Amino acid sequence: MLPDFFEFYNPTRVVFSPGIAKDFSAEIESLKVKRLFVISDEVISGFGLVKKVTDGLESAGIEVAGEFFEVAQDAELEAINACTDQVKSSGAEGIIAIGGGSVIDTAKAVNILVSMGGNLIEDYSGAHTLTEPLNPLIAIPTTAGTGSEVTMIAVVYDKKNKIKMPFTDKFLLPSLAVLDPEMTFSLPPKMTAATAMDALTHAIEAYVGLQWSPFSDALAAGAVELIFNNIVEAVENGNNVEARSAILIASNMAGTAFTHSMVGCVHSMAHSVGGLFHVPHGIANAIFLPHGMEYNFQEVKDKFAKLALFMGEDVSGLRADEAALRSIEAVRKLTLKLHKLAGLPLTLKETGVPEEALPEIAEAAVMDGTSFYNPREMVKEEILVSLKNAY
Amino acid sequence: MGYFKTSEKFEEVLAGFFRLIADTPTVADKLLASKLVIRFKYSDPDVVLLIDCAGEKLIIKTADEESKVDVEMTMSADIAHKFWFGKVNLMTALTRKQMVAKGPVPKILQLLPAIKPTYAMYPEYLRENGYAEYIVF
Repeated sequence: MLPDFFEFYNPTRVVFSPGIAKDFSAEIESLKVKRLFVISDEVISGFGLVKKVTDGLESAGIEVAGEFFEVAQDAELEAINACTDQVKSSGAEGIIAIGGGSVIDTAKAVNILVSMGGNLIEDYSGAHTLTEPLNPLIAIPTTAGTGSEVTMIAVVYDKKNKIKMPFTDKFLLPSLAVLDPEMTFSLPPKMTAATAMDALTHAIEAYVGLQWSPFSDALAAGAVELIFNNIVEAVENGNNVEARSAILIASNMAGTAFTHSMVGCVHSMAHSVGGLFHVPHGIANAIFLPHGMEYNFQEVKDKFAKLALFMGEDVSGLRADEAALRSIEAVRKLTLKLHKLAGLPLTLKETGVPEEALPEIAEAAVMDGTSFYNPREMVKEEILVSLKNAY
Repeated sequence: MGYFKTSEKFEEVLAGFFRLIADTPTVADKLLASKLVIRFKYSDPDVVLLIDCAGEKLIIKTADEESKVDVEMTMSADIAHKFWFGKVNLMTALTRKQMVAKGPVPKILQLLPAIKPTYAMYPEYLRENGYAEYIVF
């Protein structure tokens, strides 16, 4: 059965090649910009990843109009405003974001203010509030998880008011995404595992979400297959170009899938523990993924059965529910392996979250914006059961 | 030409329906729990309605473009009319830009279960108040 309605819109040009971050002048040429502002963070800069890109830009005759490295763990409003002032005064014609999700989300928000002016939260927070295209934005991911380089979503943290504001808009989609696996070599094993599990969660939740389409299904299933075939090697041998490439591409495919069909209860719970206890997003997703799949089992077991194949499970001769269970078992086996290899936590308890906070986490989870896209209605009491199981 | 020919008629019909919602405790109480102040900006014909859920009673204001609100929803009068029949998927309408939501969208989504009973109330309200010609869905 096909959905009543879907839209697939993917204007971001995606280029992939090992080492391409050093020279993508051919792609920049089509954007018709000569002065670019770089947004990144101190850690990435410290690894020499920013210099690798800017050296290439300067060789190609592109002026680096300025650099901003003060991006924190979240895309914070204060940093966004400070960065906006610098970009405006630099006269840059476009922005390059080099980093993970927070860096790219910061760049998206800065690009709104530089292109449109005004007040970020008051004028633009919400869904599809922008009325015209923004300045060119180039995104070079240095983690393989968020897929932010191809999503129309940015989440901004207002530290003063302690709220996270979501922005969803087609005009937030970057103009160009540069996928260079060498830019992810410096990710340590635990971070590699956590971010890849974030990508896997995007793919699985996009595949079973209420807004699924044949397009998002194809991308999500492809991402699941790439991740299952390569995640262990990428964690064990971080310099393996093939494995790093596969995970980076999978993250991008999963990002394209979920920016269309959205995510569900695993993300609702992860956002909740992230907001209340600062549990890193990828780790929270890795912990909650099998429990979220169990929560949705009855509603989407046929789709889980199909996913088992992409996870490399032999499901020949099995009934749909038996095959579906195999997909959950495959996720459990994978997280256990990553736990042994890289110390990825298996339980919520290991992250330091107090058990007595579970009801509060459940309440926040059912109120999270992602809960409305979950294939099964999220009920606080039943989510609490999943949280207890994850604890 | 849309379903409503004049701003006056659309405002009369929709503000009247919002007042009915305000007088229906099973729905109003859930809206009041949200504490949200929402402005609806309609076009073709142009009407502005504001629902204030921040106090003890729901307050409906017309033509209020000045008050500070939590969420501002913009849409055509036809989409709004169709919505109250339960014939518009909010998520799809946002994706298609048939509706634009400025502010915390998840808080608006959370109101959907609360307003579900009003979809049945709307045609009944139209029929009972001499607006039967607008029962088009």
